[in-house]
Amino acid sequence: MTAAALEPKALVKPKLPIIADQSLQGLEVSGVHFAYSGNPVLQDISLQIKEGEFVALLGPSGSGKSTLLRLLAGLAFPQYGSISWRGQPVSGPSLERGVVFQDYSLFPWMNLSQNVELAISKAHKRSSRKWRRELAKEYLDLVGLGSQTTKYPHELSGGMRQRSAIARTLALGSPVLLMDEPFGALDPVNRSKLQDLLIEVWRDAQPRKTVVFVTHDIDEALYLADRIIVLGSNPGRIIDEIELSAETPRSHASIAGSTVFAELRSRIRKRFQEDILNHIHATSVIHSPAEGI
Amino acid sequence: MNEHKHKSVPSGAVRLPLSGYEGISFLIALLGAWQIISVLPFSANYLFPGPLQTFAALRNALPELIKGTVSSFLILLPGFFLAALVGILWGLWVGVTPALHRMFSPFSRLAAPIPPTIYIPYAIALLPTFHSAAGFIVFAGAFWPIFLNTATGAASVPGHFRDNARILGLGRLEYIRRIVFPASLPHIFSGLSVSLVFSFIMLTVAELFGAQNGLGRFIQLYADYADYPKMAAGILYVGSVVFLSTAALELIRKRTLFWVR
Repeated sequence: MTAAALEPKALVKPKLPIIADQSLQGLEVSGVHFAYSGNPVLQDISLQIKEGEFVALLGPSGSGKSTLLRLLAGLAFPQYGSISWRGQPVSGPSLERGVVFQDYSLFPWMNLSQNVELAISKAHKRSSRKWRRELAKEYLDLVGLGSQTTKYPHELSGGMRQRSAIARTLALGSPVLLMDEPFGALDPVNRSKLQDLLIEVWRDAQPRKTVVFVTHDIDEALYLADRIIVLGSNPGRIIDEIELSAETPRSHASIAGSTVFAELRSRIRKRFQEDILNHIHATSVIHSPAEGI
Repeated sequence: MNEHKHKSVPSGAVRLPLSGYEGISFLIALLGAWQIISVLPFSANYLFPGPLQTFAALRNALPELIKGTVSSFLILLPGFFLAALVGILWGLWVGVTPALHRMFSPFSRLAAPIPPTIYIPYAIALLPTFHSAAGFIVFAGAFWPIFLNTATGAASVPGHFRDNARILGLGRLEYIRRIVFPASLPHIFSGLSVSLVFSFIMLTVAELFGAQNGLGRFIQLYADYADYPKMAAGILYVGSVVFLSTAALELIRKRTLFWVR
């Protein structure tokens, strides 16, 4: 019996398909520095994200993980270094890279259908209103909100709003999904429901979408990602990188219980602690109260 | 134990016996005070008619007042709506264009506080009819609050709406129409409600110059004839019209801004 068979809700991630066209380079970040009003936020960030890969940017607050996501989206630009997608430098936001924010992706004066229709109208410039409305319903169906299309964001729970935000981003048809702590404001039950939904959507989409997922939650990163980029803070830089075997059967139970994940979790915790200690040593001299005895 | 502790927590607000009816109670008290003062021996009775006298005058003058209302609104509404149209469109455009904002900001600060009554001689001299001149004065009074509020609202659209619009690749016009305009609506409505009250003031002032009828004209006419009950009735009537108009605007605001919590 395999581990997956023992756990009925286990999500077995199939091995990544080999990308046929090797000239497509995915997302490439090289030597990126970013400072905000003189304060360094990101320092010498270099990483490559393959197409179809699910990467988590994991770090505490102040690690610049959201800033890095904004740079990937083209909402801001690095002072040094470069970011490119499929070999083309990122020069601004593009429909190729959809973004889901924490809790404010939707426009509150539009109902769910209108929010999704707006995205569809951008992805399909010459489409009829009727067709857009039907397609919006399909996308909302996909996230389990097909019966709520005329509801406004303020009438819905945080979890439902994030579902619709995901539907809207899927409607853009972007090959890249950038997610900035999308489930950060949700309660644990809704959070794990939406994590499952995201994995489902990611697995089912053909061709598979490239996902960059920003989070400060170690378990969330372990559950979702193929690869975790661990960021240290002040300024943000890469302090570790963890490749998770694509075949590893993952479920919320295995993340909580298995020794493999327990080891990974303590490794990441250790990295964070080292990072904090380094920072303290670098910025201040600690005098022991026993000094001079 | 616990219950006792609960009771000792102060509720924070002092509860008056008329709680919930303060507004209407105050109005009734005011009417009573008005009646009492008007019959006191030292009050100049002919200058200061009591409420009973005033309401009688109001009933008599009602047809004339309604005719005046129609005439006044024919000046007020075009002036107000033109100010709203120009103020909102220009305000949105200036608000989303930092260079224009910098360009107009010093001028606006100079021009906005000028009392629009200053323009009355020019309006009378340059515009062909009384109607158009009065309409212009209303426009001049209503324009600035709408324009300034709209520009402020458009310039301060929350960053996350801008980010989302950029991610969706909205064009400039679509961005203004579908994002900036609704996002600025709370500001726009505060501009509109200030402007509406201001429009009534400007209307009354404008009607002092050569109006045949109208609300301001009514009050002025009976003040000149020393018919003070009718004058007081006119003031009361105009007050009610302004109150109802602002209440209607408030209702529209609540309906439109259903998504603002």
